[in-house]
Amino acid sequence: MGGTTAKAVGTAGAASTAGRSRRRDELVAWSFALPFLLFFLVFMAGPIVVALVTSFTDLRVTDLRNPLSVDFVALENYVAVLGDQQFQKAAANTAVFVLFGIPLAMTLGLLAAVGLNQGIVKFRTVFRVGYYLPAVTSIVAIAVIWRLLLGSESGLVNGLLAGLGIDGPGWLTDERFALWSLIVMAAWRSLGFLMVIFLAGLQAIPQDLYEAAEVDGATRWQRFRSITLPLLRPTLLFGAVITSIGYLQFFEEPFVMTQGGPLDATLSIAMHAYNQFSFGNYGFTAALSYILFVAIALLTLFQFRLFRSE
Amino acid sequence: MLNSSVMMRRLAIPVLAMLILVACGRSADSSGEGDGSQPAAESMGPATGEIQVWAMGAEGENLGVLADDFMAEFPDVTVVVTPVPWDAAHDRLVNAIAGGEVPDVSLIGTTWMGEFANLGGLDPTPSSVDPADFFEGAWNTTVVDGTSYGVPWYVETRLLYYRTDLAEAAGVTEPPANWDELKAMAQAIKDAGADYGISLQPGGTGAWQTFMPFFWQAGGEILDDGGSFTLDGEACVEALTYYDSYFEEGLSPTAATDTPVEGLFANGDVGSFISGPWMIAVVTDAGTDPATFTVAHQPTEASGTSFVGGGNMAVFADSDNKPAAWAFVEYLTRPEVQVKWFETVKDLPAVQSAWDDPALTDDEMLAAFGEQLSDAKAPPAVPNWEQVAAEIDSAIEQVTVGDMSPEDGCAAMQEQATSIGTGL
Amino acid sequence: MTTITPAREAPPLVPGRERARRRRRGSLWLYPLLILGLLFVVTPFAWMLLGAFKTTAELRQVPPTWFPVNPTFENFTNLFDRLNFLRYFFNSAVVAAGVTAGNLLFGSMLGYALAKLHFRGKRVLFALVLGTLMVPGIVTFMPLFVLVANLGLVNTHLGLILPFVAGAFGVFLMRQFIMGIPDELLDAARVDGAGEYYIFFRIIMPLSTVPLATLGILTFLGSWNSFLWPLVVASTEDMYTLPVAIALFATGAQTTNLGLLLAGAVIVVLPVLVVFILLQRYFAQGIAMTGIKG
Repeated sequence: MGGTTAKAVGTAGAASTAGRSRRRDELVAWSFALPFLLFFLVFMAGPIVVALVTSFTDLRVTDLRNPLSVDFVALENYVAVLGDQQFQKAAANTAVFVLFGIPLAMTLGLLAAVGLNQGIVKFRTVFRVGYYLPAVTSIVAIAVIWRLLLGSESGLVNGLLAGLGIDGPGWLTDERFALWSLIVMAAWRSLGFLMVIFLAGLQAIPQDLYEAAEVDGATRWQRFRSITLPLLRPTLLFGAVITSIGYLQFFEEPFVMTQGGPLDATLSIAMHAYNQFSFGNYGFTAALSYILFVAIALLTLFQFRLFRSE
Repeated sequence: MLNSSVMMRRLAIPVLAMLILVACGRSADSSGEGDGSQPAAESMGPATGEIQVWAMGAEGENLGVLADDFMAEFPDVTVVVTPVPWDAAHDRLVNAIAGGEVPDVSLIGTTWMGEFANLGGLDPTPSSVDPADFFEGAWNTTVVDGTSYGVPWYVETRLLYYRTDLAEAAGVTEPPANWDELKAMAQAIKDAGADYGISLQPGGTGAWQTFMPFFWQAGGEILDDGGSFTLDGEACVEALTYYDSYFEEGLSPTAATDTPVEGLFANGDVGSFISGPWMIAVVTDAGTDPATFTVAHQPTEASGTSFVGGGNMAVFADSDNKPAAWAFVEYLTRPEVQVKWFETVKDLPAVQSAWDDPALTDDEMLAAFGEQLSDAKAPPAVPNWEQVAAEIDSAIEQVTVGDMSPEDGCAAMQEQATSIGTGL
Repeated sequence: MTTITPAREAPPLVPGRERARRRRRGSLWLYPLLILGLLFVVTPFAWMLLGAFKTTAELRQVPPTWFPVNPTFENFTNLFDRLNFLRYFFNSAVVAAGVTAGNLLFGSMLGYALAKLHFRGKRVLFALVLGTLMVPGIVTFMPLFVLVANLGLVNTHLGLILPFVAGAFGVFLMRQFIMGIPDELLDAARVDGAGEYYIFFRIIMPLSTVPLATLGILTFLGSWNSFLWPLVVASTEDMYTLPVAIALFATGAQTTNLGLLLAGAVIVVLPVLVVFILLQRYFAQGIAMTGIKG
């Protein structure tokens, strides 16, 4: 900080006053930044660095009383994580969750937004508030509710299916359905958030573009494809990035609903990391969570390319 | 190896500064860990002051009753009981020990002892406690690497619960004595119209507690004398094949249902299951007529061994009031206090002489539990047991629900357990 | 950089009235679809509310019932008598209030500095702070826990609050908004001799009520619903927050007590729903603000 005035030595008085006042300005600016930075360094930046260092050590919970006794193990933890079958399973689950959950949630959110943007006047607020409700609700509470909804016998979903003469499966207890059930639930939860973002984006699209296209005889679908989608690109990007960061870390759903089962079908990377933390394998946990971090960064980068290109 | 370790020490100094803050504060008094010194409680000084006690579940909610009695006898001591739910207790205690924010005394699940003792969190048991007072299987849960770190407070063991009326209707009049008879009974009850003859846990947390007795009955041992895991032997394959057959043949459900097992048992959908003493009350509350069910000893092959679990009371190494803490723990193991505790929350006494009390001898079902306790084992008290157990649970599920063979299941248990290690 | 532009009136190609009528007529068919979607979204909530007044036996019934056959308040009385829910409620509220206060103050201070003041390393700092939005919570989890333990803050309200008072999102939101405040306004005040703190507290903050409200609501909600950290830091029951209590009951001791769990979910969800419905326009504004700019 400061130090900008070093060159001012020996010049005219006016310049030196300007330098001093600029330095004073800098100090004032930093004083605004300081309270945040203090907490940020201690509780965010510091731990991020410590976690990185930890990921190269064999730190276990037993070492906490004497952390200097840990050994530097280079990339051993990373090798162990990548070779860990449960991690592979968790990574696959997380990938499926993101790859199918995000498009599903985005589609539903976009449909709701486009629908509400078609001159819906009556009950507009009711729809908007209704669709948004799940997004403000605690995931834990939602998971509790859905666990009961999806119960194999007395759950509402299977009750409704039974009314249609269908014998519904154990949505959460059957290996084939558990992860998909969580995906639908996640899409249900995030569609309202995405809808609000997309609505704002849609409203920023100049109306005259549509009207011009209409005059040219473009169909609804053509207008959507050639006007709405391209102009909505930045908004879609934002929605995709924010949602993906959350989806890659999904944890509460399996924690409350399935404990990662059956047969690890719903074990997520974050949940696996949490389990390893509970077992006290701190070095391993740190490596595992850094891998997740890299995955998030890569996916974000990829999305920027996907949506920003052209 | 040596070089990298030295390098780490250099690196660690600036970066792990945060970690060290507390470690320095505590390294001075961590001398008590694992050196096998066991001072007698009375040599510690008089019991005065306040002690913090954590206990879980119903134990936590009711321990105040005993604490009041204790304070009447030791007026200089104040006991503050904090209830902690069971489900969170393990992680909580680990974090408490790691963070140095421990109570003086806590109830500790028997399978956690190795881990916590190894963390340096527990104080060795004073010599004034006599191991012979307790059931052997229960006492062994306190012993980690040759040193005892606490006392058994209450015990539980797993028996076979079955619907006598359904069994009789299916032509079974005697409790099953061995594996074949147990299987035959399950088959007969199913054939007579029940959905399932028995409900065994197919996987998930704690499945090993139902499975391991079969492993022991087949003559298996979890560790050999040298302290290596021996999970892939003949006994394991035999036991896991037998266990899996219940699922393969549709005698036991492979997935949890919305109705818990006591409900299925009460309405006759499930004819039997294996569980601990608390289920007597649960099953009765769920509407099962007490005249229509009973409990029986585990089936006997090479042995009729069951699982012994329960709770130990331990004093923390970081406690600053050990005299009062140990005085309270020893008070809890007096036979008459054990009986009172049984009458309060129905926890079975860990102290053998308490079982002579009419409160326990008069009840037939309880007597069956008492009998099984003399042939019951706990897993070895090694630090990494919980993690190994999670792998065993997972392998069991792979076999019962998934399509892994029992041989591969046992091999997977062994491989995972070996790579995790005992932690000693 | 796209900037937010409110839906503005386009130059009329078709006479206004005619256009409006056409659009309205064209959209009528949408209502059934939108209502169907709404049902999909809202049904779980309705089912939760109704279920909270059912007995566990009824909740286990096959086929399931919609309306409680024998409505009971027992689930709620149990929550507060047996399980101390008032205490969890209090903990959640204290923690959320603390976290929110910190984010509002620290976030807007740094946001102001980033938007209107000049200092070296400003861009790098902003990028760094924003970058942490991508860091998964599980990364900082362990070091943070050890740190909090060393500070003696395990199982305290402060231990639940302090790690989250400096959130990147608040900085981002406040910076975006404050950048839109005209410089002339601030320069005029400077000419009159006002210091930066005066400007911040007397000009910036009063002008920022909308983003502050948005940030406040979003932060409060985030904290109210947060789970992983309190799960580990609140070691004894008297420090539980609502989600921790619900999750632990749902996976443990009360796992079979379905009525109680649903009632618990109602207690967690209901205050949030009420607040949300009352203040919903701030949500939309705030999200739009973060979503479009940048």
